[in-house]
Amino acid sequence: MARVPIEEGFFRIPDDPAEQPRLLGSRCVACGEVFFPRRLVCAKCLHEGTEDTELSPHGTIHTWTYCHVPLFGKKDADVAGYGVAQVDLPEGPRVQSILSGGRDEFAIGMTVEIDLETLGQNAQGDEVVIYRFRPASGGSAA
Amino acid sequence: MKHGLRFENVAVAGVGMVRFGMFKDTPSAHLAREAGLLALHDAGLTLADVDEAFVGYIQPASMLGIKAMKEFGLTGLPVTHIENASATGLVAFREAAWAVSSGRADVAMALCFDKFTDMVGGGGRGAGRDQIDAPILPAAYFALWAQRRMHERGTTPEHFATIAAKNWNYGAKCPTAHRQSDHVVTAQEVLSARMVAEPLTTMMCCPPDDGAACIIVAREDFVRSRQPGRPLVRVLASALMSETYSPGHTFVGPVVGPSTMTRDTALECYEAAGIGPEDVSVAYCHDAFVNEELEYYELLGFCPEGDGEKLVVEGETGPGGRIPFNTDGGLLARGHPGGPTGVAMLHEAVLQLRGEAEGRQVEDARVALMHLVGGGSIATVNLLGVERS
Repeated sequence: MARVPIEEGFFRIPDDPAEQPRLLGSRCVACGEVFFPRRLVCAKCLHEGTEDTELSPHGTIHTWTYCHVPLFGKKDADVAGYGVAQVDLPEGPRVQSILSGGRDEFAIGMTVEIDLETLGQNAQGDEVVIYRFRPASGGSAA
Repeated sequence: MKHGLRFENVAVAGVGMVRFGMFKDTPSAHLAREAGLLALHDAGLTLADVDEAFVGYIQPASMLGIKAMKEFGLTGLPVTHIENASATGLVAFREAAWAVSSGRADVAMALCFDKFTDMVGGGGRGAGRDQIDAPILPAAYFALWAQRRMHERGTTPEHFATIAAKNWNYGAKCPTAHRQSDHVVTAQEVLSARMVAEPLTTMMCCPPDDGAACIIVAREDFVRSRQPGRPLVRVLASALMSETYSPGHTFVGPVVGPSTMTRDTALECYEAAGIGPEDVSVAYCHDAFVNEELEYYELLGFCPEGDGEKLVVEGETGPGGRIPFNTDGGLLARGHPGGPTGVAMLHEAVLQLRGEAEGRQVEDARVALMHLVGGGSIATVNLLGVERS
């Protein structure tokens, strides 16, 4: 079954499921500031012209919360809630994202890595996916 | 660039609003009609006296405002639609005050309405958001801000619950508030409510609402001549800003993290008015999620950064305190339909400045501040003053 993004242009789904997905960003060719998602005009120096860049699959939790309601858009809610975080990527962007894992698995400052979450199926029978972050392998909430 | 406007010769002629709540079977134009007629009656005017109108709402259909305005008659007056998410009402008011201060109108009206019950099912309040962040609950974004503050400052859920209880108890004293508890709400009750997004419980989040509110502003001499003997509520200043870029800005989803936007906007407004936070008697802020109110104590200049919790513990923002906040219950208890929210703030502020806020009157209220953010990315701060004869 094919995997399609909930919205095009935000992240790349690798053909090999073992490979990590990557967020798609932009780097200003004038000042070097990096943004997520992609944009044409630099928000910092206003230069018109950026280059595409794939962002690191790892980041650090700036802040996070746990929502005690099922995720919107999730057809078969098998869990009662979900985590949400702001994740700082090494290139600079701060990304708001769903977390994968229980409410005791996260802490501010811990390292997380990108992953995909299946929200449901579209009319063509494809799996609609969104990015999420999970505790990095070898990391802990301590 | 200056973002603050100082208004000369603009006064409030009248205010009106319907109590916020769920009015599934009432068309929005009828809610607007009720609020507008209350404001016209309060001002002693008819639509024939109104030179220009600004109508505001969030719900996604065009030209609903002109339909609502026709409820008062058809006089040919210019009507402009305004939309700035949660800040819509204050921005419509700002435009009305600007129309009068510019000299192009003697009397201008800001009429705002919204029906959350019409939005549910049609994409809801998040309609128009990027699909990419649509699955995330709005409360979560504000909870992220609360969690970071708890981490940095040692703020506790009890601090947030204390503010929420204060606003619930103010709401019970305000006849136009949606939530009117039949008992005194305690911080413990707020904490015991169902958890939504940690640390926010249902009692720390605003309810869904339908509603309408209206304010009419006019030249001071016009108001004086029509309303002799009544305290003259003057529009002092207004500032409106969007965000300035800083590293770590989140471009997807509403931006609710530590932001200088509210602080910058407040400074612009104070400077335009020629006064400071020490001159403000009563304040209204965007407390859709209660941790916001704590942040705005600091960002609006009522205490140094990091001292917000002290104001809470000492009760300085409640009845009898140094700077009472959200005396009508705020978005949390008075309610937050969207468009009319800012005009409801003005409604309460005008009652306070006139000395008509029975049961919740701030003693000797002289200056009121109204603040809202819209979509997390627009901020507006506005100041009203009063001249008593």
